[in-house]
Amino acid sequence: MAITVDEKSLKQGVLSLVVTLVEVIQEALERQALRRMNGGDLTEEELERLGDALLELDEAVEEIKSDHGITDSVADLHRGLDEVVDDVVDKLVNPARWAEEARR
Amino acid sequence: MKPTRDPRVTLDDLVEVLLNKGAVLHLDLIVSVADIPLIGVSLRAAIAGMETMLEYGMLRRWDEDTRAWAERSTGHRDLEPRAGERHIVHMRGGHLLEDGFQTTWRPGTVHLTDRRLVVMRREPREVLWETELAAVRTVRPETERSVGGEQRTRLRVVLADGREALLSCTEPERLRALLASTCPGPLETSPADPERQDGEAGDGGPAVLEGHLWYHEPRRDGPLWRGGQGRLTPEALVWKSPLDARPALVLPSDDITAVRTEPGRSPAGGGRVITVETASQGPVTLTADEPGRWAGALDSLRTAVPLPSA
Repeated sequence: MAITVDEKSLKQGVLSLVVTLVEVIQEALERQALRRMNGGDLTEEELERLGDALLELDEAVEEIKSDHGITDSVADLHRGLDEVVDDVVDKLVNPARWAEEARR
Repeated sequence: MKPTRDPRVTLDDLVEVLLNKGAVLHLDLIVSVADIPLIGVSLRAAIAGMETMLEYGMLRRWDEDTRAWAERSTGHRDLEPRAGERHIVHMRGGHLLEDGFQTTWRPGTVHLTDRRLVVMRREPREVLWETELAAVRTVRPETERSVGGEQRTRLRVVLADGREALLSCTEPERLRALLASTCPGPLETSPADPERQDGEAGDGGPAVLEGHLWYHEPRRDGPLWRGGQGRLTPEALVWKSPLDARPALVLPSDDITAVRTEPGRSPAGGGRVITVETASQGPVTLTADEPGRWAGALDSLRTAVPLPSA
C-alpha cells in the first residue's frame, strides 16, 4: 500500500502532497459547514458568508491545481490515500483479515 | 456533494466520522525515580466538529464571541462621515493608550475631517481615539527614541478639557500643518522644541555625533559585540544598548589618550574597528558603519582638551 507520487520533479510531488492535504482539510470543513448550516444556529447573513468563503476556497484550490498542472497527480494521491484508509479500516473492523494476513 | 465509491471508505469519510463523533484524550502521567514523583504531565485534548463541540457544551462562549465580533467588524469598516462632513486626509498611524494599567501603542489609521480627528482600527473595527476639532487647543510635535534607537516624531494633542493624547502617523509634519489650517479655534502649535530634545537626550550639552555604534563589551566569558546608540558630546562618549536601563560605557573625553582605527572583524561589515586608549579603563573597542567618522570626531575631542603642560 505504498503511495507513489508519479511526478518528474520532487517539487511537483511535494506540491501535490500539500494540495492533497489541503483538499482533505477543505473537504472536512465543507462537511462540517453543512452540519452547522443544518444545525439552524447560524443567521442568514452568516450562511451567505460561509457559503461564499467556501466557494472561494474551492476556486482557489482548483486554480492552484491547474496553474501547476497537478490536477491529475493530486487526484491520484487522493485516491491512494483513500485506499490506504480503506485498507486500514477494513482490517480494523474485520479481525478475520488479521488471520488472513498471518497465514500469507 | 460528489458521489463516493460505496462501500469503500475514503479518507474524507474517516475525517468526517472523527469530527462528527469527536475524540477526547485525557492523559495523566507522573515520572518518578526511586518512587519519588519528579515530573507531572496532565494532558486534556479534544477534537470535534464545532457542531459536536456545541452539543457537548464546549467552546460555546468562544463561538458566540467570534461570531459577534465578525458581525461587528464586517459591514462598515471605514469611518462613517456625518452629514456634510468633509474628509481631508488619512494616513497610517496609532494612538498611545495610557489607562494607568497599561501603556501601549495601538496601530490604526488617522483620519482628519473638517470636524473631527479620529484614530480608527479596521480589523476588528474600533475607534481608538476621537476628538472634535473645536476642542483641540495644542498640537505639539515630540521626538521620541524608538526601541530600535531611531528618532520618531509624535504629535501631542491637548484638548480644551485638559485631556492629552499622543498620536503617531507617517507624516506628522503634514498632519500638524493640516490641523493648524483646519481647526476652527485658536491653535497653539509650535515646531519641534530643540530644548526639550536636549533634555530628553540627557546631560552633556549638544551632541557632536550621535548614531548607531557597536561596542565590544568585555564579559566574563569573553568579549561580545553589542549594538546600541552612541552619543558623543564635548564632555564624554556615552554608549547605551536599547536593552539596558543605563549606559554601559561612559568615556570622559579627558580620559581618552589615543584613538585609532585598525583592521579587525567588525559586525558592521566594514572590516575596521576603532580602538580608543583610555587612561583609566584601558583600550576600548568600538565600531560603526562609518568608523572613520567616529574615530575622527573622538580624536578631535581628545585634542580639544588642553594638555596640562600647555
